[in-house]
Formats: sequence, structure tokens, C-alpha cells
Amino acid sequence: MNPLCTPGDHHLSRRAFLGGGLSLLASPVLAEAMRQKDKQVLFVWLDGGLSQLESWDPKPNTEFGGPFRSIKTSVPGVQFCELMPKLAKQMHKLCVVRSMCTKDNAHSSGVDRIQRGDPKNRGVPYPHFGAGVAKLLGPGASGLPPYVWIKPGSGGFRAEDAGFLGPKYGSLAFGDGKPPENLLRHPDISAEQDAARNELRQMLDQRFAAKREKRVVEANASVFDMAEKLMARADIFDTSRLPERDRDRYGRHDLGLHMLVARQMLEAGVRFVKVTSYGWDTHGDNFNAHATMVPKFDQAFSAMLEDLEASGLLKTTLVICLSEFGRTPRINGHVGRDHWPEAWSIAMAGHGVRHGTLVGETNDKGTAVKSQPYDIGSMFHTWYRALGIDPLKTEFDNAGQPLPIAHDEMIPIKEALA
Amino acid sequence: MHRTWVSCAASLVFLTASAAAVESSLDQNIDALVFAKAQGHKMTPADDAEFLRRVWLDFEGGIPTADEARAFLADPAADKRAKLIDKLIAAPRFAERMAEAFNVMLMERRGDNDAWKAWLVDAFRSNKPWDAMVREMLAPDFLNEKQRGAGYFITRRLEKVGQQDTDYPGLTRDVGRMFMGIDLQCCQCHRHLSVSEYKQIDFSGLFAVYQNLKLQSADEKHKTPWVSEGVINAKYEFASVLTSKKAQTAPRVPFGEEVMIPALTADEAWLVKPDRKTKEVGQPKFSPLHEIAQRLPAPENPLFAKNIANRVWFLFMGQGIVEPLDLHHSDNPPANPALLDLLAQELTAHHFDLRWLIRELAHTQTYQRSSTAAGTHQRHLTAEQQLRAFLGATGERERLEKNTKPDVKVDAAKYSLADFQKAFAAALANPAKEPELAANPSLRSALFLRNSDYVHWALMPRPGNLIERLAAQSDPAEDLYLSTLTRLPSTEEKARLKSWLAAHASNKAQALSDFAWALLSSTEFFVNH
Repeated sequence: MNPLCTPGDHHLSRRAFLGGGLSLLASPVLAEAMRQKDKQVLFVWLDGGLSQLESWDPKPNTEFGGPFRSIKTSVPGVQFCELMPKLAKQMHKLCVVRSMCTKDNAHSSGVDRIQRGDPKNRGVPYPHFGAGVAKLLGPGASGLPPYVWIKPGSGGFRAEDAGFLGPKYGSLAFGDGKPPENLLRHPDISAEQDAARNELRQMLDQRFAAKREKRVVEANASVFDMAEKLMARADIFDTSRLPERDRDRYGRHDLGLHMLVARQMLEAGVRFVKVTSYGWDTHGDNFNAHATMVPKFDQAFSAMLEDLEASGLLKTTLVICLSEFGRTPRINGHVGRDHWPEAWSIAMAGHGVRHGTLVGETNDKGTAVKSQPYDIGSMFHTWYRALGIDPLKTEFDNAGQPLPIAHDEMIPIKEALA
Repeated sequence: MHRTWVSCAASLVFLTASAAAVESSLDQNIDALVFAKAQGHKMTPADDAEFLRRVWLDFEGGIPTADEARAFLADPAADKRAKLIDKLIAAPRFAERMAEAFNVMLMERRGDNDAWKAWLVDAFRSNKPWDAMVREMLAPDFLNEKQRGAGYFITRRLEKVGQQDTDYPGLTRDVGRMFMGIDLQCCQCHRHLSVSEYKQIDFSGLFAVYQNLKLQSADEKHKTPWVSEGVINAKYEFASVLTSKKAQTAPRVPFGEEVMIPALTADEAWLVKPDRKTKEVGQPKFSPLHEIAQRLPAPENPLFAKNIANRVWFLFMGQGIVEPLDLHHSDNPPANPALLDLLAQELTAHHFDLRWLIRELAHTQTYQRSSTAAGTHQRHLTAEQQLRAFLGATGERERLEKNTKPDVKVDAAKYSLADFQKAFAAALANPAKEPELAANPSLRSALFLRNSDYVHWALMPRPGNLIERLAAQSDPAEDLYLSTLTRLPSTEEKARLKSWLAAHASNKAQALSDFAWALLSSTEFFVNH
């Protein structure tokens, strides 16, 4: 439980604020219309904190600028760090916000707060953005799990990501891009046998449901159906069949491989795909670490943008890349940079965002935001808007209690929206 | 019909009956109230097979064997249901099943603990009254070998998780939720915004007690982790974050009266003084922990009886009279207020005898109605019930119990019971710290049932198991249906199995295994209906 309720919280109940407009929101017609659109999300998470100075917001030749130069991008006047030559050529597809100013400078709480949109404390854990999208947009026509997470290490079902929305909207994590446990048909059972016995199971369920309330049978049917759809697309986990050329383009490293698996997921119609890369917490030897890691990210992320554009998916897919915070401009005694939520950057592309746009600026040394600062709540507003969901008219239902989908005192970044 | 008091001395019978001031028995009164509420909707009684399966799952935690089912169905005795209820309640397994159910309810899958489990089993085996159980959980005697297991309720909740602060608010909240059916979480910082009778002082009066605890590790004297108490000599002060208004309270049961804090000097405050040299943490004379443990589980606290009556009703009927189970308040009235009042009164009059209440519930027509009736709840089996039923059906439980040292190279010794328990819980149970009101089917559970080696292994023919037994029969339909679904197959179902076997005649064992898989993966198998 979070004891950090601050004075002023809950002065206005959400219901009182919205008055009688609630019944409209719950309109099934509206919900259906939203679901029919095939919008998707790619959410790239650089865990530990990418340095904004060694990526989106370089400050060469300044006190804290570090050793790298900056280079021109495809948008005149916008420069990136030289470690991102490939992404620099794609700035015209991107929207970079350099004016992020968030609150938390600890990993343990920051990761959670950023991914949950840091809403006001309502006494219940808020869903991650992916769980919120899964809830509001559903699995879509593919029928595949709506929120998947490709990450190094272990996989599994992470119910806690869904917060109060309930375990159903948690993430399905693919550790090392590998399929979840029990995804593949048992080796001793043939495809025909498997299909036949599953058909028999469905027949038994229909008989059972005929005399009873259908809800329970339907709930079971829906998870078996989703399992079936995922089993049928087990190929999207099969990295052995990936073309060699793509492996080279994305890079023969974890992030390259995971990004490629993510592309297959998006192509297969998964609603929300999160890709995590670990190891960005460079308290020591920041510059060598970024010199090694940023080019890998540059390679994988730019290959992804190229491919999404070529396949047309970029038109319907919102792409987001961020960390839990940026890194301190001041360089510490270990030639590292520490945690810096005060002034950092987020990059976006694809559906709903204005391409080739730079939002906000930091001061000369990069220590503070010079323009209007934005907290993560504003980004949630922006992202939901980009997906065609109006956070002022859409709410979550926490067992009867209406709760805002994004921080209710923040607003979207208009200039970032298409 | 058998009543607990029939076995008592005649005078006691008279006393109990008059004390309860009812002319008819509790089960009849329950039915009368439920029927009145149903307003003429007919309640079709469950047939023998449905009753048999339900009562086994509820009292034994698994399902009967085909032979046991056959014998019950064939028994012409008019009182066979009452006899079965008594038999199952008297069986050692009943206490274990209750311990499983209460472990899931009270600990919400925070992990396993042997001393805690043993205490629960022992409490249900000796039919310890609920108020006594709660007193032991709320103020455990950690030096008493028989009681210290109860301390897990508190100690587990005070364990540090990562960088987070010790979760005193969480423990406070759970005492309210589990033993009074009230969720005071929001009242940690201010009055509850949607429940007018939940006040910040109700949270704070309990919090004053629990924030005063300190988790101590097991040592020579204490064989388990335990808690020490500090000295409380002043009221606990709190302020609403909404109004910044300050207030204070002594230790207090929610909605009750404040406990008097004795005026003791610093010297007088300790029964055993803390001593750094001997590492004695000390023991105060005034123990709010014990005060609350005396006052909360008491007939004078009406929510104490209502909460447990509602929770037991939920366990056996599949639905609480108040839901969520931890939101008793005036704007969330019971579905049937008279019924909850009756249960709470009777349970109090019977000194919180849960076994008595459970037996009464099982005797009601409400419990024994058919699941085809409108509004009847179908309950997903818990992971524990599902495993026990699955192993009972497939005939693999005994083998697994013997396999304490599994050997993957030997088919029959591949798994232990513990392997199965772990796998079933991982695939089928809800995540930790979630009230297990309903086990929700998930993608994870569907993939497990469909593809896991555990399920596949249990359905391979092996000496003494279901598939081998069926393969030896020319007409296995009856055995198969009784073993899995605890009922006889219809003519149509017999015909379907026959044609299935004919279509897959090349490998009868495999055909049977596939058919059994379909039955064991069907909704009829994994709900209690």
C-alpha cells in the first residue's frame, strides 16, 4: 500500500466531476467502433535510463557534454548524438520530446511509475500502459494475446502489470523471445489427435452449457480459443526461420533479435508489443557503455522503423521509446552519469504523432527543461489521443469506481499529435 | 436428520434449543429465508450424482472413485445424503480440506508454511471455535508449540519485500478484511470517500496496535519468526490528508470503544525490561495486541460473526451474501439481510462452531439444489481441488505420493506429488495477494491443460491407473464417466464414446486417453456445479 496520499487528493470524485456523462461512455457501439480499428503499439523500454545527452539531446562542447559529437538529421536544425547515425536519417519519421521532467529518480519506483503513467494515488495499483491499451482496445482481429512483452531472461504471465484491471490484462512475457511455457503441442501427440480431442472438449462444453448459465463455459472457451490462436502462430517465436539478411540488419545481439521477434508479433496482429533492453544504468564508464550500446539500439530500432514503413504498419502503429528517466548531465567520479528525471527525452513515431517534430528544449548544459516541462501523465494523454482514445471521455472501471485512464490534471502535448 | 446437539445430554439439548429460540432447525430456517427471497422461483433439487460430486469437492477436496460413486448412487436409503455428509465431516481429510481453503482465504497465496498449515489442520481437526482461532492468530503465543503456527498470519505480512517499508498498513487492512469483513485501506489517509461509516479513526485504532510490532527472527526460544511489542503510553495521532485535521485514538477495534491506556511510568511499563546485553527485546505490561485479540473476536462485535458466516456461506454456496466479502457496510447491504442475521446469531449462539454451521449448510435444500436452476453459481475449482480431483480421476495420486525422489528416466517415477502441486498451483491459482473469490480461467491455464507434460503423463496407461483399467474393459463408458464426472453417461454419451473408440481402433489406450483428456479439460470437470 502506498502511504503517499498527498493533501488535495480526491477533492473531487471523478463521478461528481463528470456528472451524468457516464452512461454515454459505456456505450457498446462506441467500444466496438474503437476495437475494430487495427491500431497497434510498439513500446521500446531501455531499462536503467538511456542518456539523453548520448542520444536524442546532445550538448557537444559544453561542460557536461561528454566526448561525442553531434550529427545532422534528416530534419534541418535537429541534431542527434553521433552514436545514432541510422536514426538520424529517420528523424523525419520521429517526434522527439526533449522536455520530459518527471518525479522519480529511483529505479524500483520509477520503472513502475513511468509505465503506469504516475496517476494520482487512488489506493489501487494502476495498470501499465500496455494493460490499459489491452483493456481499452482488446486483442483485435488476430485473437492473439493483446499485451506481450519480449525481454531478456525469464518469461511468464505477469498479472501485476494489469493493476486493478485484473490479471486478464497482464502481460505475457516472452523471455529471450522464447514462447511461453506449454505453447507447443506435446511431442507425443499428433496434430490430428490434438485437434480431434479439442473438438470433443468443445462438444462436451456445449452440452454442459445447454442447461446452465453460459458465462462460465464462455470464459473457458475464450481462453482455450486464445491458446489455440497462439499455438497456431507459434511460428512468430521461431527465430530459426528469420532471414539472414534481417538478422544482419537488426544486429546479431539480444536487442536486434528481440526487435525482430517484435516485428513478427506486430505483423501477426498483436495489439501491444513491449521490447525491453536491460543494462542502461551507466553510473560508471558512461561513455564507453553508451558507445557500445547506443549503436546496437540505433541499428535495431531504425531497421524496425524502416520495415514498419515498408509494410505499411507504421501508419497504424504507435511507436514509443523511453526509459524510467534520463541521466545526470554532471559526470560523476566514475566517469558515469546518475539518474536524472529533471530533463530527459522520449522518442515516438507512427500512428497519431506528428512526424519530423521536435518538442521542447533543455538549457545549454542540459540540466533543466527550458520550455514547458512535461510529466509522464502528459505522455499518457498524448499516447491515448494518438490511438484515438479520448482520456476525458474514457475511464477505467475499478469494480464500479470510475477512474481516469491518465492523470486527470495533465493534458496532452498538442504539438506532438498529428 | 442428525443434529450436533442430539448427541449432547438431554438438558443441554433443551438449553441450546431454547437459547437459540427457534422452533425449527437452522437448515429449515435458512431454506425458508432463501425461498422467500426467491419469490416462488422453483428450486430444483440436485440429483444424487450432482450432490455427491459437490459434497466431495467441498468436504474432501476431491472426487469419489467410480466404485464409491456407484455405491452411493445405488444406495436406496432415504437418509444417504445426511449419512454421507456425516461421514465426510468425520473423515481426517475434512480438516485438511478446510485448512487448504482457509489458507488460501487468509493468506491469499503468500507462500507455504508448514507450522501454519499444521496449526490450521489441527484447529479444524479439534473443531476449535472460530473466535479461539482468531484470538490465536491475532495474539499468537510464540512459545507455545501448538499455537505458534498461527503467528504466520502476522509474521508473513511483516516480512520486508525488497526496498519497501514494512507493510504495517497492509497487516492492519487485512485484520479488518479477514476478521470483520471491512476493507479500511482508504481510511489510512482520510475518511472513506464512498463508504460513509468507514472512518480514519477505524483504521488508526488498529494501526496503532500493529505499527507497534517488530518482526523478530527465529531463535533458540522461538522456533519460528515472532513479533515483539513496544510500549504504548499515549494515544496514536493521525491527520486527514483532506482536511489536515488532527485527531488521536487509543488502540481500538473498528466501531468499538477505545482501550484504556494504563498510566505507567517508564519504569513500570515493562513486564520484562529490554536489555541490550542479553538481547532481550522486552515485554510491555500493557499489550494492545492482546487487548484487540480479546475484543475483536467477541459476540459483542457484530461484524465478527457476520464476516465469518458470510465467508463460510461463500465457501459452500459459491457466492457471498455480501460481496465483495470484505465490504460489509450500509450502502452494500447483504443480498438477504435476514439470512445473514440468522446465520450470525446462530453461529454466535453455538460458540462459533464452524463444523456445526457447515453441517447445517450442507443439509439445506439451498445447498442441495441443482446447478441447472437459474441464478445458481458455478464455482471454478481451486487449484488444490482441481489437482486432487484430477489425480483421483486418473488414478495417479498414490503413485505420486510414493515418488518422494522422482527419477526422470523412469516413466512411473518421473514426478512427485510436490511437482504436481507446484505445477497445478502455478498454472491454475490466482496470483498472490488477490482475494480468490473466483479462480479465473487464463491463457496460462488453458495452455497447461492442453499441452503440459503433467496432464499428458497422468493420462498414459500405467499399472493401476484409469487408462489401463479402462483399456481392459469392453464397455468402459460407465467407469470413465463415473471416474471423471462422477455421473453415469447418457445413452448418447455412451454411443459417442463407442464411435470414438471405433474410429480410433488402432490404439485403444490412446483413444481412451484422448477422450479422458477431453472430459478432464471440460468445464463440467473443473467447476463445482
